[in-house]
Amino acid sequence: MGDPGREVSVPKGTPGVDPRAPMPPGSRSPKLLGGGVDGRRSVWVAVLSTILFFAVAAILIVRSPGWSSDAGVRQQFFDAAEFRYSLPKILDKFWRNVFIFCVAEVLVLAFALLLAVMRSLPGAVFTPLRVLSNAYTILFRGLPTILVIAILGFGMPALQLQGLPNSDIFWAIIALVLVYSAYVAEVYRAGIESIHPSQAAAARSLGLTRGQAMRHVILPQAVRRVVPPLMNDFIGLQKDSALVAFLGLTEGLRQAQIITANDFNFTPYVALALVYVVITVPQVLFVDWLVKRDQNRRQSGGVA
Amino acid sequence: MRKILIAVGAVVALTAVACAPKSSSTIPATSGSANMTAAECATAHASDLYADATLTIATGNPAYQPWYGGKSVPDSEWKATSYTGDPHSGEGYESAFAYALADRLGFTEDQVSWLGIPFGKSFAPGPKDFDFAMQQISISDKRAEAVDFSVGYFDVNQALIANEGSPAIGVTTLAGLKDLTLGAPLGTTSLQVITDQVQPNVEPRVYDDLDLALKDLKNGQIDAVVVDFPTAFYGYADTVVGQFPNLGGEQEQFGLSFEQGNGLRSCVDQAITEMQADGTLDALKQQWLETDTSVPTFS
Repeated sequence: MGDPGREVSVPKGTPGVDPRAPMPPGSRSPKLLGGGVDGRRSVWVAVLSTILFFAVAAILIVRSPGWSSDAGVRQQFFDAAEFRYSLPKILDKFWRNVFIFCVAEVLVLAFALLLAVMRSLPGAVFTPLRVLSNAYTILFRGLPTILVIAILGFGMPALQLQGLPNSDIFWAIIALVLVYSAYVAEVYRAGIESIHPSQAAAARSLGLTRGQAMRHVILPQAVRRVVPPLMNDFIGLQKDSALVAFLGLTEGLRQAQIITANDFNFTPYVALALVYVVITVPQVLFVDWLVKRDQNRRQSGGVA
Repeated sequence: MRKILIAVGAVVALTAVACAPKSSSTIPATSGSANMTAAECATAHASDLYADATLTIATGNPAYQPWYGGKSVPDSEWKATSYTGDPHSGEGYESAFAYALADRLGFTEDQVSWLGIPFGKSFAPGPKDFDFAMQQISISDKRAEAVDFSVGYFDVNQALIANEGSPAIGVTTLAGLKDLTLGAPLGTTSLQVITDQVQPNVEPRVYDDLDLALKDLKNGQIDAVVVDFPTAFYGYADTVVGQFPNLGGEQEQFGLSFEQGNGLRSCVDQAITEMQADGTLDALKQQWLETDTSVPTFS
């Protein structure tokens, strides 16, 4: 931690040097329903038009000629028996996706932070690290995830290297970490660069080293700001875990494909789609809650 | 209140325009009359054709040997390699069968058009942009809920292939396969054979297509691959270890898959039945497929 004489105690959980920093504009989410003087009336109009919109849309879909004809959309995509048959089988394999994305997310958080910090290192001496980090994010944001998975998943075992596992799950996780770290590093960097330079200057003037300023002043604020976009990337990663099917591993998507191909019925896809939505909703709500809590704490001006 | 009505009206109008149902004319399937030839039947059902005076056949791309062989014709989207062929070539069992079938239905070679589709498209609901799919599709009751199948044109069973050094070599019983890592391409009955007959202790691996399964077989990621019997002989692996018995009594058959209610199917059925009776199908089989029956059957 550097020179003990210059150690400055920074209380844990403090958002930054200045806890009463003004709330960034636009951070209060707009209301879903209209407000204003005749707020009540607006609410009713909103509810009514929403209900009508969806009712009309539903009626049009259900009454379309392809909906309920033989082998129509209803039977091919929304077959109740097929749904009951496929959902447990899909869930059974979906745990593999859960494992893959949970492990990958933890690794991405760490690796991307390393990349972002590398990118923010000041001084001429760190140029190679900055260039490396920059080149990495450019390269891996440019590569389609499925190609990285295919190249690693089929290519690495073919090399027959000693000591490296040949498991699909291993290489899939590596591929996802490589690709998503590039995105998340940029998210981190955006967060770091959004912190006003005066914060770093203030921290330095209080006697913190560059490292300490980054660790105790910049990053805590930066990471808080980027929680919603981080969640974006994690949801993306969770969905891309389905690409592992390409390697021959039976996970959620492959299981759905197998049943679909056997039965000539697309209901398993709908079942899998539902599973993805169901796991996404609580995560989104959690992040909303987290951001809200953070806002409230800042507004009350202290450490809750 | 007027505002509300206008808004609602606009919403309704927009949705209606966006989703206006296409007029559908469903022509009931009529069976070919006994005194019509298959070609006359096809002429009578010309309105059921996807493209005028053209027989449009869908199959996969890549199209694998020995079902599709020959060299790529110019401008073909199919690339012929040592494992794959071009449906336009007329070589390989299904390609040759397609042109023989077209001939019976009164189409010239030039009137046959091929369409490369992913497997799922052959049974997706809605109008098809082809007349039928010919892609080694096994007939099943469950599948027949989504499509109409022709009568079977090929009796098929499944076989196991492996490379030298694989623990699968020399295995003669289904029980002996239980602890091996087996693979199969997606959408095939090969996978069902693994899960139903072998009931392996190791989870089988399922690939997008045969090519990827063979890649992992070569890499040693899997011990053996299950494919249909004729494919097993096509040099995809070193050895055909054995063939699987037909369990459950019902012979697995390949059929052509039509959109439900397509009237052309009755003509195709008539043509296939004739080709079966006069030995055309047998001759095609002799010409294009390995008929070696000395391969042991797993017990």
